[in-house]
Amino acid sequence: MNTQLEHSDLTEDAKMEAFLAKIDRGEKIEADDWMPDDYRNQLIKLISMHGISEIMGALPEKEWVPKAPTLRRKLAIMAKVQDEMGHGQLLLRVAEDLIAPLGKTREDIMQDLFAGRLKFHNVFHMEAPTWADAGVIGWLVDGAAIITQSMSLDTSYAPYARALHRICAEEKFHAQHGESIVLELAEGTEEQRQMLQESITRWWPSLLMFFGPPENGNITSNQASNMRYKIRSQTNEELRQIFLKKYLPRIFHLGFTVPDETIYFDEAEDKWIYQQPDWEEFKQIVKGKGPRSAHRLHLREMSYEETKWVRDAILSYGRQVG
Amino acid sequence: MGELLQVETAQEALKNQEYTQALVDLLFQLADDDFILAYRGSEWLGLAPHIEEDVAFSSMAQDMMGHAVMYYEMLEELGVGKADDLAQLREASAFRNAILVERQNGAGGYNDDPHYDWAYAIVRSYVYGLHKKVRLESLLKSSYSPLTLISRKMLTEHRYHLMHWQVWLKQLANSTPDARARLEAAIAKVWSDAGELSDLGPNAASITGFGLIEAEATLREVWLKETQAIFEAANLSWPGEPGAAKERGRAGEHTADLIQALATLSEVYRIDPAASW
Amino acid sequence: MSNQTNNENFVIYEVFSQKTVSASFVHQFSLLAPNAEVALSMARENFLRREPCFNLWVVKRDDIHGLPPEERPFLERLDNKSYRETKGYGDLQGRWRRHKDEYEAQHNTKSGS
Repeated sequence: MNTQLEHSDLTEDAKMEAFLAKIDRGEKIEADDWMPDDYRNQLIKLISMHGISEIMGALPEKEWVPKAPTLRRKLAIMAKVQDEMGHGQLLLRVAEDLIAPLGKTREDIMQDLFAGRLKFHNVFHMEAPTWADAGVIGWLVDGAAIITQSMSLDTSYAPYARALHRICAEEKFHAQHGESIVLELAEGTEEQRQMLQESITRWWPSLLMFFGPPENGNITSNQASNMRYKIRSQTNEELRQIFLKKYLPRIFHLGFTVPDETIYFDEAEDKWIYQQPDWEEFKQIVKGKGPRSAHRLHLREMSYEETKWVRDAILSYGRQVG
Repeated sequence: MGELLQVETAQEALKNQEYTQALVDLLFQLADDDFILAYRGSEWLGLAPHIEEDVAFSSMAQDMMGHAVMYYEMLEELGVGKADDLAQLREASAFRNAILVERQNGAGGYNDDPHYDWAYAIVRSYVYGLHKKVRLESLLKSSYSPLTLISRKMLTEHRYHLMHWQVWLKQLANSTPDARARLEAAIAKVWSDAGELSDLGPNAASITGFGLIEAEATLREVWLKETQAIFEAANLSWPGEPGAAKERGRAGEHTADLIQALATLSEVYRIDPAASW
Repeated sequence: MSNQTNNENFVIYEVFSQKTVSASFVHQFSLLAPNAEVALSMARENFLRREPCFNLWVVKRDDIHGLPPEERPFLERLDNKSYRETKGYGDLQGRWRRHKDEYEAQHNTKSGS
């Protein structure tokens, strides 16, 4: 199919008006539809970050793949990390179609990542030193991801929605995979329970940071346009509250704590009142200054560069025999 | 020995001590080969040359580990031990895998500076896979019925893997001079170990005598013939008779690579093997 | 939709699969590959890790011809074609029943239904 970037004789203003009316009617935008540059750029930023986060997100769990403690767990976590790579594949394909009219390809996305121009999610910059972290990532990090992804299922950009539908179906299995590891540890020995408690404590600030800083009434222009374009529909704080309501009681039911001594649920306000994580630290982490940022980026870049000969080879295959 | 013997169940096998010993010896070879190579495959996760291939490659490792689990469960049924213990608590000297499958993917650890060699991954998987196919086909005629049953199931899945490796071998062999050189180096490396694949271990006479699998020479001949045809179709020169490492994995002699692999794959389980994980 | 026709890049393949022999091919998603053979060797694991798969196709996206966005609305139809659909024949059952009832009343019998 050929890209139809501009349609006929309409003025830019008229095109924009028609585009917004379409969004307002709840209609979906396809890759070859006309779209304002701003919409395209917001999507590129969002979806390439989401996609590359899946790819980078495979790395902390991958550390535990060969070490998983039973044969069944070895198989399950292999399948789970495989799915994460698969989700990265889906999302990168969506992003690649958006950057194609700009003359860019997956190669540019990878190079942007290596150069630090493309960020990935804060949680994947963190350490995962014990087996319990494999469980907590599956249970709580994936749990948080399901909440943001479910919000986006109805996004105005149809290719993104289609990818998310595939992803969310598999995320349910991931959450169960994580819950299964966590429950086994929670019902296990003192040592296992301690391992889990330490992991929850370790991941708590990162989980709060996952949804981004609270707006406190100040919606950024990026967020505002994403909402105007119906790319997203909820604020960071709304999403975080959904997460807290779902998961905090479960943490408590298992007899575990979070490192926040004053945390409580405000019935009147219908929300959890929690201590803010260090948002300055959040900025630094996402900039690539987290405890494992450099290591994981190095791993990704090294494996990519060292296998370049393979991609070159199969590209040239047709020509050699041709 | 019992040429006419056909054993239908584990209980029946257990009535004959010699038969059981031969069966257990063979099952450990089958299980450990698949288990250790699947482990090596799992180390590749996230590091393959192309995202789509990373996803596809992982399925091969999963399927292979799934096969190992089926063999360990057969051993469990024979009262040898719990499948998880067999996979994770034995010392290296109790492992019966061929040396070929325990070799590292390349220099470095899977988590620290892995300088992994894709050409070696392809050649090892394919050469091993071709031998595995011959072995599974022979097991279809095994005197132990449960083994013929699962071999039939595994073969279906396994043929799909072979198709995958064949595409890679052919394309790398007929691409750039660089890839061709890397592939030839990988073939030389794999070939120096591959001869051990059809070794049935110190108890080989009993294993074949009981009709559990065909003789080493038969397996080897079929495997080499099929492999040669595939190499020729891919325009690769035939490396001749395969060699074997100085250690004999089938007799429990192993390299430091296996010791490292076992330490890693049992690290968590060994914290407390009595606990539920 | 792609600009990736130069030889320096992998190309986009659209993946279609058939669940059973009697099912139609359904579009799954797209992937990047250097050639059709490699695309085919990766397709199932990327999109059908859990679903049954009876057969697979990969098609270069550039070889698919579709309607441009401004022509897609032309696919819409008036809703005046009930004569093509079962809902346009909703009266039949009642009429058959009436004939049966009349017959039974006349002959004072109950025939098998």
